[in-house]
Amino acid sequence: MHIRDGILAPEVCLAAGAISLGAITYSLRRLRFDLEDRAVPLTGMMAAIVFAGQMVNFPLFGLPVSGHLLGGVLAAVMLGPWAGCLAISMVLIVQAVLFSDGGLMSLGANILNMAVVGAWGGYAVYATIRRILGNGAAATVSAAVIAAWLSVLGAAALFCAEFLCSSRSAGVDPRGVLSLMVLYHSLIGVGEALITGAVLSFVLARRGDLVPTPNAPGSVGTIGRFAATGLMAALAVAAIVAPFKSESPDGLDAAAQDLKFDKLEVERPALVLDDYAIPVAESAWWPALPVSLAGIVGTLVVFIAAVVLAGITRRNVVPIRVADGSHGN
Amino acid sequence: MGTSGIGSDTGSHSICHALPAGMKLLLTLGIILVAGLIPLEHWPAQGLLLALVFVGLSLAGVTMRYLVRRLALFLPLLLVFGLSVPMARSNDAAWSWTLSLWLRCTVSFMAGLWLVHVLPFRDLLTTLRYWHFPPALIAMLGFMYRYTFILWDELRRLRNARAARDFGGGPWWRVWSINSQVIGLLLLRAMERAERTHRAMLARGWDGSIRFLDGKDAG
Repeated sequence: MHIRDGILAPEVCLAAGAISLGAITYSLRRLRFDLEDRAVPLTGMMAAIVFAGQMVNFPLFGLPVSGHLLGGVLAAVMLGPWAGCLAISMVLIVQAVLFSDGGLMSLGANILNMAVVGAWGGYAVYATIRRILGNGAAATVSAAVIAAWLSVLGAAALFCAEFLCSSRSAGVDPRGVLSLMVLYHSLIGVGEALITGAVLSFVLARRGDLVPTPNAPGSVGTIGRFAATGLMAALAVAAIVAPFKSESPDGLDAAAQDLKFDKLEVERPALVLDDYAIPVAESAWWPALPVSLAGIVGTLVVFIAAVVLAGITRRNVVPIRVADGSHGN
Repeated sequence: MGTSGIGSDTGSHSICHALPAGMKLLLTLGIILVAGLIPLEHWPAQGLLLALVFVGLSLAGVTMRYLVRRLALFLPLLLVFGLSVPMARSNDAAWSWTLSLWLRCTVSFMAGLWLVHVLPFRDLLTTLRYWHFPPALIAMLGFMYRYTFILWDELRRLRNARAARDFGGGPWWRVWSINSQVIGLLLLRAMERAERTHRAMLARGWDGSIRFLDGKDAG
């Protein structure tokens, strides 16, 4: 998930860094307004929670690798988009500087993809869905599940855009990388949605008062929220559709083929072949089909998860005392 | 501070540790930037950079074992990522792109490892303050660093308690559900702890403005 140094071009890193710096500055200003003097301890603690939560490994259906929480939407749901964005940014900073996990120069791009899209974008989706579904516990969980899924796909799409900008000058065809990334991220997105939903469901069942209502005054305006939600949805769709679209010939070529013009032009078929042929002849569609399938299956799984987790939450939300090993301090 | 020594001053004082913290940061960023700008035709320059970083790592006292272990975690992902371009369409441009990506990323990664090894977190905070980063952000980073080790210990206790009760088994959905509950419990306890910390800060005259002690105690 973390972009390493050397993958993106320096100028792309610089641009992403400038945007992230702006986002962090803006978040800091809004945070003082929202949380007042609690901002520092609460945000620091949220960053530590996300960081520690990422140490919990989730087995991936028998695969030798394991997944973990990303936490953008979870942090934003608990503390609002501004603190959420800062918390994830700090996690990324510490991971880069202390663990060499994710690049230093590409830190800006990482913050943009995960903190800004994850917390701001994810929160916009969450708040919009909650406005539609209401303020019940079940609505909260389903909104967070969907927002988490969209936030991961949005991050993947943004990475694709950054990667395209970086590799344009190199003159290579980045389709393979993009398909790989989207395929991988639709899996991560399902995991993130499941974990976010389950954690939130647990928190709501025990301390529902800790989860704030998103429509408080001083939060994002309606227009901004809808704009951000639309953007997130568009990004997610782009992530799934992009490899598929780029596989088929562009409009002109398709039209030429349809009208049999390509038979008339002598050099045209060669050109088409040169553009779209892949060494293994039958596999011209290989990245596209699994990617689209992954997108569709992922969406289905996420919506089922949203419904199931919402049901569980509705049943559990009566506060129950559990012997959870807490020291009671 | 915690059980883990990561990022804290490990007590090693090599020639690299003695450099000013800001210079360490700028040096690393510079190497990564140069590595990103060298085109493949000049691969000897890239190799030279790699050798330079390697010398830096040995000067900083990084053991070969640590380096190999970190690289073993890092290289497979990079290999797969780099290979996905020539696998989709193999030609000379794609292969040279992959080759230059591998070189670039390895140099940058090793430069990052060097920084991790020689820059204590406290020095990073001091440097960021010196560079006029927002004080609130630095204070939050300091808080986060402090809490992280506490929460790791808390997490270890939760895991121990879990392992003592369920013997670590079960199908994947059960493991997922239990792990989510562990994170949820961690979140609840940590939020309550943050509230307590905030009240304790208020009791000591916290008014939302950040003050630093002089010298190295900013974190």
